[in-house]
Amino acid sequence: MRRSLLSPLLSVFLMGECAGLLALLSFSAAGQQESNVVALPLKPKSVRFAAFGDNGTGGQEQYDVAQQMVRQRTKFPFDTVLMLGDNIYGSDTAADFRRKFEDPYKSLLDAGVKFYATLGNHDNPNQRLYKPFNMDGKRYYSYKKENVEFFALDSTYMDPTELAWVDKQLMASTAAWKICYFHHPLYSDGKFHGPDRDLRARLEPILVRGGVSVVLSGHEHFYERLKPQQGIHYFIIGNGGQLRYHDLKPSPDVAKGFDTDRGFAMFEIAGDELYFQALSRSGEIVDSGMIQKAATTTAP
Amino acid sequence: MNRRAIIAALTLPFTAWAQQPSVPDTTAILKDFETRVSAYVKVHRAAEADVQALRKTASAEEINSREAALAESIRAHRPAKQGDIFTPEIAGEFRRLVAITMKGPDAPGVKKSLKSAEPVQLALKVNDSYPERAPRQSTPPTLLMNLPKLPPELHYRVVGRALVLLDTSAAIVVDFIPDLIK
Repeated sequence: MRRSLLSPLLSVFLMGECAGLLALLSFSAAGQQESNVVALPLKPKSVRFAAFGDNGTGGQEQYDVAQQMVRQRTKFPFDTVLMLGDNIYGSDTAADFRRKFEDPYKSLLDAGVKFYATLGNHDNPNQRLYKPFNMDGKRYYSYKKENVEFFALDSTYMDPTELAWVDKQLMASTAAWKICYFHHPLYSDGKFHGPDRDLRARLEPILVRGGVSVVLSGHEHFYERLKPQQGIHYFIIGNGGQLRYHDLKPSPDVAKGFDTDRGFAMFEIAGDELYFQALSRSGEIVDSGMIQKAATTTAP
Repeated sequence: MNRRAIIAALTLPFTAWAQQPSVPDTTAILKDFETRVSAYVKVHRAAEADVQALRKTASAEEINSREAALAESIRAHRPAKQGDIFTPEIAGEFRRLVAITMKGPDAPGVKKSLKSAEPVQLALKVNDSYPERAPRQSTPPTLLMNLPKLPPELHYRVVGRALVLLDTSAAIVVDFIPDLIK
């Protein structure tokens, strides 16, 4: 964390984050953590999950991230993993599914952790039928855990039928927290891809109207947390196996960025608080914070 | 003015109208498209009935083998060539619809989305399988909103500058219009 604070990129981020930083310092002073890392509180009956995207390379880095997740799970026992797309790169034979999914996450799968996938642009839509991805045969779907409802969307082919479905489901949902995840980010400060502006034009009004609090995406091969846009907190966690080194550009919209290693993120929702930590594959916490439902974020 | 001149003056507008290039009947063209798509869906369902249906399974091998069997069955049921669905008239109407999107108020966002969507270049051929290693370029939602609705068996997919009609379960190219997205 300290090393990250010294990076020129982050100093740009912090300039726009003074209010958040002050809030965080107060938060830390309350005794949560001695550094400016916000701990995951492990509250009773909280909803705990991890998330990553762009993971399915079958390369050593993907395995490193998976092993780090196993290590972290001994301290933070999550039971759910959100896959943000590009689950299986390249060929998708049975051997590829083993090398790019079943083997790297074997310990987590054996421990009963459930993976909920969404489709990326490198994924065959028939992955929806692969039971370990828990997509129930659908390109887009939703599921609930306690006071949280998750909406997994297919951003590669967001047709009018899907848009109408998202709108209807969000409006009908009574969950305290509505979390959407899909592959292509609506906001991004990546040099290579950037945001999907047409998707944003069509989907964002639906997310805002539907009371979505948090959106997770991949596609960009780095970690980025943006300052809230239209009241929604956006995370990009596209470094689960891939990495586009130094692809983030400085921007006033960035709350925190990390583009020098692979990683994943962990989340805990308890009541009206959502805690998060983003980690590198070596276990370094590169970002952390807490989002208060329908209020402000306290995060670096 | 003599009688012949009067008749000529009266009939001139009609003659001129008759010589205008004919305005395509878009309703009829889109109805034709719908009919051809429905015919394809019948083929898809017949082919599906001949093979083991795709189903939820923990076996990736089973998904792949059933996808391949479905594709093979469709090819057997439907020897096809480019233009069987996107006839020249239908392709012309699609060019008009896509041009509306690409020149309208949403055009800048659509173009940026296309650019950021990892464009792919493939040699397209009807009834070929979509290459498993090739990414699926995302199709801008605004573009999809302006095209005729499809049954769930089919998707429009952008491949480079072409618009492809893709059978999603069988992952085969059903038809395509080259050089459409500009």
